[in-house]
Amino acid sequence: MPATKQAPNRQAITLKGSTTLVTEFFKYAANTILFQRGVYPADDFHMVKKYGQTVLVTQDLALENYLEKILTQVNKWLLTGSITQLVLAIISKDSRVTMERWVFDINLVGQPAGSSEPAPAKPESEIQAEIRNILKQIVSTVTFLPVIDEPTVFNILAYTSESADVPADEWVDTDPLAIEASKSQQVKLRSFSTDVHRIEAMVAYRYEG
Amino acid sequence: MSYNPKTPSRHRSRSETRTPLAGSGVAGSNGYALNPSPTKGRADLTNPFISSSKITSSAKSRQTSPVKRPTSGSYEVTERLRRQASTGVIRKGGVESRLDVVTRDYVPPPKKPEVKRARSQPARDSRDRFITTRDTAVDEVVASLDMMNLNTEPSSPGHTARLAAAAGVPINKRVLAYHEPPPPASSDTMLSQQRELVKPLYARPGALPSSTASTTNKTRRIPTQPERVLDAPGIADDFYLNLVSWGAMNVLAVALDTATYIWKAESGEVVELGEAPEGSYVASVDFSADGQFLGVGLATGEVELWDVETQTKLRTMTGHSVQVACLSWNQHILSSGCADGSIWHHDVRVARHKVGELLGHTGEVCGMKWREDGELLASGGNDNVVNVWDGRVGDVASGSRSTARWTKRNHTAAVKALAWCPWQPALLASGGGTNDATVHVWNTTTGARLHSLTTPSQITSIQWSPHRKEFLTTHGFPTNSIMIHSYPSMERVAEIRDAHDSRVLWSSISPAGDIVCTGAGDENLKFWRVWDVPKVKKTKEAKELGRSSTHSGILAIR
Repeated sequence: MPATKQAPNRQAITLKGSTTLVTEFFKYAANTILFQRGVYPADDFHMVKKYGQTVLVTQDLALENYLEKILTQVNKWLLTGSITQLVLAIISKDSRVTMERWVFDINLVGQPAGSSEPAPAKPESEIQAEIRNILKQIVSTVTFLPVIDEPTVFNILAYTSESADVPADEWVDTDPLAIEASKSQQVKLRSFSTDVHRIEAMVAYRYEG
Repeated sequence: MSYNPKTPSRHRSRSETRTPLAGSGVAGSNGYALNPSPTKGRADLTNPFISSSKITSSAKSRQTSPVKRPTSGSYEVTERLRRQASTGVIRKGGVESRLDVVTRDYVPPPKKPEVKRARSQPARDSRDRFITTRDTAVDEVVASLDMMNLNTEPSSPGHTARLAAAAGVPINKRVLAYHEPPPPASSDTMLSQQRELVKPLYARPGALPSSTASTTNKTRRIPTQPERVLDAPGIADDFYLNLVSWGAMNVLAVALDTATYIWKAESGEVVELGEAPEGSYVASVDFSADGQFLGVGLATGEVELWDVETQTKLRTMTGHSVQVACLSWNQHILSSGCADGSIWHHDVRVARHKVGELLGHTGEVCGMKWREDGELLASGGNDNVVNVWDGRVGDVASGSRSTARWTKRNHTAAVKALAWCPWQPALLASGGGTNDATVHVWNTTTGARLHSLTTPSQITSIQWSPHRKEFLTTHGFPTNSIMIHSYPSMERVAEIRDAHDSRVLWSSISPAGDIVCTGAGDENLKFWRVWDVPKVKKTKEAKELGRSSTHSGILAIR
């Protein structure tokens, strides 16, 4: 829950509030991507109301817990500002070839130097509208993304800084699961920002020929 | 100004030039390929892509307009930078990347203070030859190399830096993944397979093809075994003949090759009625409406009239030249369909029996049925045509009533199966042969085709149920089945597969409307109790019968 209040005395959104917002966004975005790309069976998802529209969230408990664990850690990293990028890679189950990479850049919105008073807080409705747009855009990507017929699995990668506090037994260094450059096409999606964070989305997909 | 004996590398960090020699860090050694011998103190004239401050006009240098002359020293030369420059490290964000050309002699100008950037990655033009489309504003993490092992330990900082520059992956970043793999999908993503398995649970009765012999309505049991089987030795296995007829006196007439037998349903008694003359065989039999008289059509074209009660032949009506395979009664008129395609009306009371002729078929007439009220006559031929004729016979001026009211060519095979609906007089059902296997239901008043039903095999006969809104079809190739369909939904109510061992060729409904007798070339006559006779009591029985309605109810429908 962001700390933004609709009181006449608008408080700027706090870091904690912003990270919560961002983590929530990641959760719904990941769910949307998993549903749209058919990584998990469509029947496993049910609709909830969020951001003023219906989004699909998984009912599969195992998957939900898995995402929860990951996102809790992501949340911690966001609070310390150590994470710079979150990637959801969709790879073919059998051939382990990366089919798609959904990349979310995390940037800190810096205070313009020299401003004496805090910038006017961004209204929550605006943030929600931006998030809505991103989610809608993710859904619309099915129009150009290549059809995936084979069973796939997903992997979430976190790009953190050196100084990040990484629980050693939970997170391991891994390769970026990149798509071959000659076969990769990228499309930049919309972005949203709170007062503290700026999230930009991009999808890179494997495209033959 | 420092001449460094070490071999610096020369390469560009900007890719506009797109030269093969400007490779950045694919393999560390590449960067060194350009280097001239360090002993040369002058600008390397052999390499046209490198220019230096000492370039002379005679040098074959290209137009390198973006070259910055390193004359203006605006950077502080720190020890680190110097070392970097000498070892050829190109760091993104470092000084070299701001230049178009790196020269050996270059003295880095004093370093501008690094602007504190909010971005984790400087937004340089990060195009390079590995990734052709890149949005410059976005951090590119699509690695150019499949396996990028970023060693942040600067064992070979130049190498690492070049790798980083190439890949666009920022150094000092770790790529982390959760140690557990994601949970597998709990069920098959291809849900269609599962839906297919579950389908029988959701299907309505009769909607699915069944692998068993029959499907039946849950509330209604249609026996899949015949009530009775009669032996019919010698019966001809000919699609075009009509060898079975059930009369109103509950008497069944069967033609076995040359002889005609009648079987009395009440007593079970079998009586031979007569024999066809030598060299001929019986092609069709049909009872009159009151069941007193039996018309017999022969292969030679004669039509005989027999009295059932006395078992005597009353008359022989000649005239046709080829076999008469269809007969149908309309009060005192017996119509005969001939193999030459003509239909004759015979008035059995008068000596000159031929009272009408209908020429509407170019192939053998396979099926022919009068409507109950005698208004219309339907005929189907081997030419795939269904004709509906005006039933009024009498003095016919040539040409006036000789054309059919309706001629339907929808069928793609011989039309043997014809049946008029008992509760809706305008309806006519016609069924096609092997190539067609479709039942069409027509409104003979308007000529419109109301319904069509495709079946899996050739249709040999149709019987409407007098008590239910259903009709029964008998089939030949390949299923040899009996199917019951509801009208008007055309839903399959029941299917009795392999009702006979060969094609079910003929059927006849009992006068009560509950038993259908079918005959096939396997020399069997089977009796199926497919419909119930509704009881007179309307109160409970009407409910029990479900969709069936009493006589008054039927007339009230539509």
